[in-house]
Amino acid sequence: MSSTGEKHSPLEQFEIVPYIHIDSKGIDISFTNSSLAMTITVAVITLFLTFSVNTRSIVPSRLQLLSELSYNFIVQLLKDTVGAEGRKYFPFVFTIFMFVLIGNMVGMVPYSFTFTSHIIVTFALAAIVFIGVTVLGFVKHGLRFFSFFVIPGLPWYMLPLLIPIEVISYLSRPISLSVRLFANMLAGHTLLKVFAGFVVSLGLAGFLPLAFIVALTGLEILIAFLQAYVFAILTCLYINDALHLH
Amino acid sequence: MNNSKKQLENLKEKIDHLQHNKEKKSVPERNSGTGFGFKISTEIVAALIVGVGIGLLVDNYFNTKPFGLIIFFILGAFAGFLNIYRVMRRIEKQKSFNIKH
Repeated sequence: MSSTGEKHSPLEQFEIVPYIHIDSKGIDISFTNSSLAMTITVAVITLFLTFSVNTRSIVPSRLQLLSELSYNFIVQLLKDTVGAEGRKYFPFVFTIFMFVLIGNMVGMVPYSFTFTSHIIVTFALAAIVFIGVTVLGFVKHGLRFFSFFVIPGLPWYMLPLLIPIEVISYLSRPISLSVRLFANMLAGHTLLKVFAGFVVSLGLAGFLPLAFIVALTGLEILIAFLQAYVFAILTCLYINDALHLH
Repeated sequence: MNNSKKQLENLKEKIDHLQHNKEKKSVPERNSGTGFGFKISTEIVAALIVGVGIGLLVDNYFNTKPFGLIIFFILGAFAGFLNIYRVMRRIEKQKSFNIKH
């Protein structure tokens, strides 16, 4: 998008910059700013979760309360959507939720990089969920899993029409899951930078977009949390579908 | 003894009051219009992408140039509407769940 060598495009923030060039048999696996952001995210999650519950006090400190809150949040989510047998899938859902949430939050820090604003990252996450859930369905139900695509109580002559529709609907899950997260982050961060550009170009009247940016940053943090929540709740719903079929 | 009982009752009243306030606050959901539109549009676009993708693949394999794309595009559109129907049903369910509790 950046034309005529303009270096202040609102889309510049999404550029991938390789820090360490690594080439493995023609495949570029360089350590980029995206990899750095992911590494920071994983490090933050690990440090936060280990150190905050390290004391194991009965009356929790604020940090411990925060990590217990996030733990309970996902436990409750699984209980509400999947039921008691959902406890088994807690590590999976919690990992995905924390990775997306902290990734979004790391992206909110100025000059850092939002890896969730790249479709390949979110699509990889959604593909993990999709493939995992499909495998889970086959393991639990065997070939009976295919009855998931048949709506019960339907006349037989409707089946040839409705089974392809159901299959397409099922296949569209990872795409809608990934596009939603990616588009929200991309749009939000682009909007922030576009308004930041107005601050400079408007001169004295620039305090108006500046005030707007402050409000928008708050909204963006809300969206960062909301999208992680949506990702987690949809994962739970898909697990529920695979376990119970309909 | 009597005093502490009174204090406890006072506390209970306070908690009840706070909980009541909290419930009241959570009823008018911050159901933002853009978020809702986003949800709906991604559902339909995703289904269309899958439909068109399958259609193109079918055309490539079976050499049925326009027909696979046409048929699967239409099926994809139907799947998109099905997705939206499911999302709406989930939202309605949640709403009635919220009102009940």
